[in-house]
Amino acid sequence: MGPTAILLFLFFLAPVAVDLGVAFTDMGRTLAVSSFTFENFERMATRDTRLLGALGITAVFVITTLCIFNVTFALLLALVTTSVQRQVGAFFRAVWLLPRMSPSVVYALLWLWVVDPNERGLLNQVVVHVFGLPPLDLRNNHPLLLVILANGFIGASLGMIIFTSAIRSIPEHLFHAARADGAGSLAIVRHIVLPALRWPISYMTIHQTLSLLVTFEYILLITAGGPFYDTTVFALFAYRRAFENGQYAYGAALSLVLVIVGVVAALALWRLMDMKQLLQSPRIEVH
Amino acid sequence: MATVTFEKPLSPARPDWQALAARAGLRRSAGQAALLAFLLLVSVPIILPYFWMLMISLTARTGGVSTDVLWTACAVIVPAVLIYSIVHSLVPSPRLRLVTGLLLLAIACTLLVALIGDRLHFDNYRFLWRTNIVEEIRSKATAGGQFPSVWIAFRNSLVLAVSQTVIIITVASLAGYYISRFAFRGREAFLQGLLVLHAFPAMTLIIPIFLILYWVGLLDTIAGVMLVLATIELPFYVFVMKGFFDAVPWDIEMSAMTDGATRRQAFRLVVLPQVSVGLIAVAVFAFIRAWEEYIFVRTFLIENKNWVMSLYLFWVADDVMGVDYGIVAAVSVFYVLPSLLLYVFCQKYLTQMTIGGIKG
Repeated sequence: MGPTAILLFLFFLAPVAVDLGVAFTDMGRTLAVSSFTFENFERMATRDTRLLGALGITAVFVITTLCIFNVTFALLLALVTTSVQRQVGAFFRAVWLLPRMSPSVVYALLWLWVVDPNERGLLNQVVVHVFGLPPLDLRNNHPLLLVILANGFIGASLGMIIFTSAIRSIPEHLFHAARADGAGSLAIVRHIVLPALRWPISYMTIHQTLSLLVTFEYILLITAGGPFYDTTVFALFAYRRAFENGQYAYGAALSLVLVIVGVVAALALWRLMDMKQLLQSPRIEVH
Repeated sequence: MATVTFEKPLSPARPDWQALAARAGLRRSAGQAALLAFLLLVSVPIILPYFWMLMISLTARTGGVSTDVLWTACAVIVPAVLIYSIVHSLVPSPRLRLVTGLLLLAIACTLLVALIGDRLHFDNYRFLWRTNIVEEIRSKATAGGQFPSVWIAFRNSLVLAVSQTVIIITVASLAGYYISRFAFRGREAFLQGLLVLHAFPAMTLIIPIFLILYWVGLLDTIAGVMLVLATIELPFYVFVMKGFFDAVPWDIEMSAMTDGATRRQAFRLVVLPQVSVGLIAVAVFAFIRAWEEYIFVRTFLIENKNWVMSLYLFWVADDVMGVDYGIVAAVSVFYVLPSLLLYVFCQKYLTQMTIGGIKG
């Protein structure tokens, strides 16, 4: 118990406090603090013109990835893999988990090889030789699409797992009853599976919104936020301000916004968890 | 499950049940085939890049990659896999399956060797025993100074991942056990706080964590990264372990203590073996997570003697990508292999991990 509390305090609660403090300072490249100021927030609200663009990109990125991959496609995968043979379904779920299990640098490199702008890129081999089109350069011409795809292929797997176990927990006799009543497969999905998935879907939606909001690992690796600032989402914007430009205080102020969003979303998620099961009273009432 | 569709007989004559059953069966297999085709189709974009990486690492030479090798290999392997899966689904006897599988494997290997055998080489893996590989390719000093040997990065990664895993296992199992068994003051508050922390994205705290590490002097050390990585995933693992401990019946612990075991003995000798599946799952998961970590190590580790595999790969790719694909691909394969093997062999443990449960 003790170690948990200490570790959590040191690297979870203390950082929040530090962030809160540093956001009101003028810490620069030297990491020294000379005065306390509100300038960071003033700059955020009024002067940083690039910030608005970053917010727009974040909105497009999060909403598109979420709607296409992390929820919809995840649901589709869960539905399909649970309605084929058990082993076959498990195999394909394992395939879809592969990107999540492989190191992020490797995953990003795979994407770089896929979208390589010359004719050797995997995508261009198909585009040029099968469809006879000129080679594409996704990384420079459609960078946002690229990062959405790259994040989506990873994001779909978590929803797939959660939805699959939710579908599995639907009592079997409901399916038999529906079949006996003459329901087709689609009707079963519509009237039995989807209602049962209501809570998991809303949980996943909030959870994935949050994680997409703060994630920038793959973006940093694949496009580095570029070209220029075209794929710099808000979280990456804070990171670049701090570690590329050395404006640590401003970066801290920016991430304070994310911290607040994170706390709110975490509290919302918390309402969706099954509290009764988590808080079930301990087995032994002794000390 | 054999499906029989009951349809209202249109004519007073007895319906032909057998024909109806056959038709339904046919419809059913058509539907299954369509689903399988869909799954295959959407999985191609995932499998193909990994295969492409492997082929680059085995065939590329400095200056270029030849693409026809990939498609030749695919032309051999894809039919073989397809034939085998058809056989697998049609033939019930495991013996016959094995024989066909081996036969197909032999045919595929022979074809591969005959068609592209002379193109395969292991030159790209020379980074394993030569140190200055990047400098050789670029024929000048690199931006990051000397590249360390890959084994230093490998060792650092291993140290980081293993020690992180050990911390997580110890701390999470102790905390999980304590929460699962004891009623202490503030238990509910602690659990709720833990839950909020679990949902809270630690990535947003990267700047203040950087500052804290700098102030306590742990910046640019493996130990610092190790502690941070262990902590940010800790709430999740505590919950996972609590779930496993909750599933252990109190009775067996009680009987151990009635037989004279102390609390500590009961925990070590009776309860821990019961949750070994959970321990393995947590260990594997934590190891893979630490092995693949990039953002935090990128931010917290600077000197090249502290590089872990992800940084090594990143800088190799940064320096020679475009000049020599082969090396980059070979390093990637080398890097991805440990986590891939762990994932494949421990999958049955990983799937048993659940947290709490969502309202349903």
